[in-house]
Amino acid sequence: MGETRQSPNWVLSSLMLAATAAWLTLDAVSVAPNRIVPGTPYAALEVVGGWPALLMAVPMLAVVVLAWRPNRKGLTLSLGVVMALLALLPLWLAAATAVLVTPDMPQARVGIGSALWLLLFLLLLVLIELRTRLGMSRALGWLLLVPMLLGWWLALSLWLEPLALLREYHARSDQFASAVQQHLALVGAAVGASLVVASLLVLAMRRHTGVRRVGFGVLNFLQTIPSLALFGLLLAPLAWLGARVDWLAALGVSGIGWAPAFLALLGYSLLPMVRNIFVALEEVDPAVIESARGMGMARRQVFLQVRLPLALPVVLEGVRITTVQAIGLTAVAALIGAGGLGTFIFQGLGQAAMDMVLLGALPIIGLALVADALIGALSERLRPGGAA
Amino acid sequence: MIELFDVTKRFGDETAVDGISLRVEKGELCALVGTSGCGKSTTLRMINRLIEHDGGEIHLDGQPVRSFDEVALRRRIGYVIQSTGLFPHWTVARNIGLVPRLLKWPKGKVRDRVEELMQLLGLPVAEFADKYPRQLSGGQAQRVGVARALAADPDILLMDEPFGALDPITRATLQDELRVLQARLHKTVVFVTHDMDEALALADRLVVMHQGRIVQQGSPVELLREPANPFVESLLGGMDRGLKEAALIQVSEHMLPLGPRLLASERIPYGASLSQALSVMLWHRVDRLTVVDEEDIPIGELSLRRLLGAKAA
Amino acid sequence: MSSATSSTTHGSAVQRWLAPIVWLSLLLLLTLGMGHLEWLFRLLEPDLRQVIYRRADFLTLLGQHVLVVGIASLLAVALGVAAAVAVTREFGRDFLPLVSQLASIGQTFPPVAVLALAVPALGFGTLPIIVALLLYGLLPIVRNTLAGIGSIDPQVHEAARAMGMTPWQVLRQVELPLAAPFILAGIRTSVTINIATAALGTTVGASNLGDPIISGIVNGNTAYIVQGAVLIGLLALAVDSLFERLQRRG
Repeated sequence: MGETRQSPNWVLSSLMLAATAAWLTLDAVSVAPNRIVPGTPYAALEVVGGWPALLMAVPMLAVVVLAWRPNRKGLTLSLGVVMALLALLPLWLAAATAVLVTPDMPQARVGIGSALWLLLFLLLLVLIELRTRLGMSRALGWLLLVPMLLGWWLALSLWLEPLALLREYHARSDQFASAVQQHLALVGAAVGASLVVASLLVLAMRRHTGVRRVGFGVLNFLQTIPSLALFGLLLAPLAWLGARVDWLAALGVSGIGWAPAFLALLGYSLLPMVRNIFVALEEVDPAVIESARGMGMARRQVFLQVRLPLALPVVLEGVRITTVQAIGLTAVAALIGAGGLGTFIFQGLGQAAMDMVLLGALPIIGLALVADALIGALSERLRPGGAA
Repeated sequence: MIELFDVTKRFGDETAVDGISLRVEKGELCALVGTSGCGKSTTLRMINRLIEHDGGEIHLDGQPVRSFDEVALRRRIGYVIQSTGLFPHWTVARNIGLVPRLLKWPKGKVRDRVEELMQLLGLPVAEFADKYPRQLSGGQAQRVGVARALAADPDILLMDEPFGALDPITRATLQDELRVLQARLHKTVVFVTHDMDEALALADRLVVMHQGRIVQQGSPVELLREPANPFVESLLGGMDRGLKEAALIQVSEHMLPLGPRLLASERIPYGASLSQALSVMLWHRVDRLTVVDEEDIPIGELSLRRLLGAKAA
Repeated sequence: MSSATSSTTHGSAVQRWLAPIVWLSLLLLLTLGMGHLEWLFRLLEPDLRQVIYRRADFLTLLGQHVLVVGIASLLAVALGVAAAVAVTREFGRDFLPLVSQLASIGQTFPPVAVLALAVPALGFGTLPIIVALLLYGLLPIVRNTLAGIGSIDPQVHEAARAMGMTPWQVLRQVELPLAAPFILAGIRTSVTINIATAALGTTVGASNLGDPIISGIVNGNTAYIVQGAVLIGLLALAVDSLFERLQRRG
């Protein structure tokens, strides 16, 4: 195999060196006997004499060495090593928990230390870099995370009971489940409704230039207003409406709750949706439209059979952007009583309970990433002639 | 004066330029010709160190190019490329004045020089000075490119297929103008092209390259008459060489003074080439032409026999 | 020159900046004079004792909001542009793919979540908010700067070097001016998001224009909510229209 000499991959070496340094110096876990007392921090090297930690440091340094001459074999090997490390982290945590939590601490809480967070972060960065260098597709890239997710799932279900985050979850698992439901329902309803409304708006805009200008003007104006302000401003009118009109009140329309949240979300979702649908329909290659017309297709047929299918991937991009945005905004809507995962964040902040904050924030990030990946993949799949 | 001594350049496993030696005298226009990938552009860019040569030496007026600071070197050399590379966010005037400003010329001097060059290149100042590159046609843009290259009055000009992107008429116009300009300014020019006719029209010295090596170099006439091998022969036109050589000769060089005979009915301007004269004779099916000046006044005559006996200097 | 163009270049200085000036003036007027509108708010909430938010002075709240967003944005611009430039130079080229990917992935993170995560890491107060705004604000700026620099015709770049410009001169006189419209758009996005995210400041212990809104929600005082919402809305509109005019000019 004619290997051309390549320069070292400085990205990999610097990231892995930083990871090793963090792993060996910073605190990896903290153990508290109960909820009230702050935890005692332990560095990785302090747990079980540090041998497991050192063992894990070896493959990290191996990657640094492999990065010196990054040929395809070396990079693939590094990829395997990193995936293994990511899967081993939760297992190490489980082992540390088993060792550090003695039977006289039934209420013990284990917290994840900065070393673990940093290591997780840096290893994920290395994963991204390796994925790019090896030219793997997006889909394959997501698959790389499977061992890690399996490791965490295993550890969480079997050995990580004292983990603070898990305890928090168990204490409120029903609440958590309904929060997730509320969150998804709100996002789904808002995105769905905006898709319908936006489509109608765009159809009107394509016919009348005046509607287009006014429409974009209003939507841009709306988008600039901070979400908290809009949520707040909708409370009074909706409260008034709920008080006056009985059947609306029966539906649950009132000053707080899902009504103002839904309306505001709809408003915010309209701009990206309208913009994308508009551009999608406008930017279909005119040559294709012309040839369709030339062959005798009626206007409606051209629209349904040519323009629409070609516009679909771009529309899906709009759905993707809107969904991710809506997931974030719904979190803020928790402040006006709309429920959802945001409640954990704000309750946690109010009580200075960091683990509750994490219980809210991490799933939201996870949801956003998953939605982005799924819808993005769908959009790629529908692109004419395969992925661009 | 530019000298290349056994210059080599490798990219990975590939040798783009393989031990070429070349000498371009002061005031000479040297054309590098060859098919794509023969290394002519690479050679050009090693002269102003946009690419660093691996082996051999490159000297400018006796000094190795490596002995100069590369930025200072480039400010002394004019560079013209096919896509012009004009800065889209600057006006024409500002683009032209780039190198004088880099050399910290006083503002007045820069302005005067820009105007002088715009006139030289046929770009009326009032009309073009404040235009932006996107508002120019291809020909106009390239004129600005040449003006910019000449702004700091460099001795050396490097041109990489400068007229390649232009339509044939504009290309011919600019070639003529370059020829006139060069006759006036006598810059030392290295000109890369894959258009043999262009090279024949402009070059004092012709260098044929193939796969990184120089196959033959010499004056255009030398290469036309004595190609080193079949490759050069076909590159220079194969069977069309007769016409190509004739294209290099002006009618005025071989016309005879007006004689007592009746004037031939068809006319040819004195500045036309012999190949054009031949074409006119073919077209009208005559073997004599009357040579006229700019005012259409007969000044001589050219016969087919005379044409057939003509040789380029 | 047609008379149409000359009339738009004449009265245009005031005309062009009209929108931001209007928003800004409204903002300042209301910030300073909210008390005068007490009668208006009484109509809204006739039963409550206090209708004008008095826990803090509106000017102070505005100032703190602007300060937090301002510091975070300035840092984000400095760091973001520097990082994007570094990654497009020869020495930093190795890091380009990773940085580019990160800037994309990062934008998927909801800003609220980033703000929330800053607290376990940095505690309460103004610091976590500035850090969260900084981190989140970096992303559109880095992405846009990369796009801007990447949009430059490589032939222009080569010509600039060939003319004898030093790498620094190429950056300053060619690359940055040509990338400027993109960078400006990135800054505009970044600042707008930051104004909105900063409003949640009270929840992490920093006080600013979001306070009256949150206080109003918690206490059921609609007047408070309206006061806070209007002020923060005006701030966002003023800043956004300011950037829009700046973009038009370029």
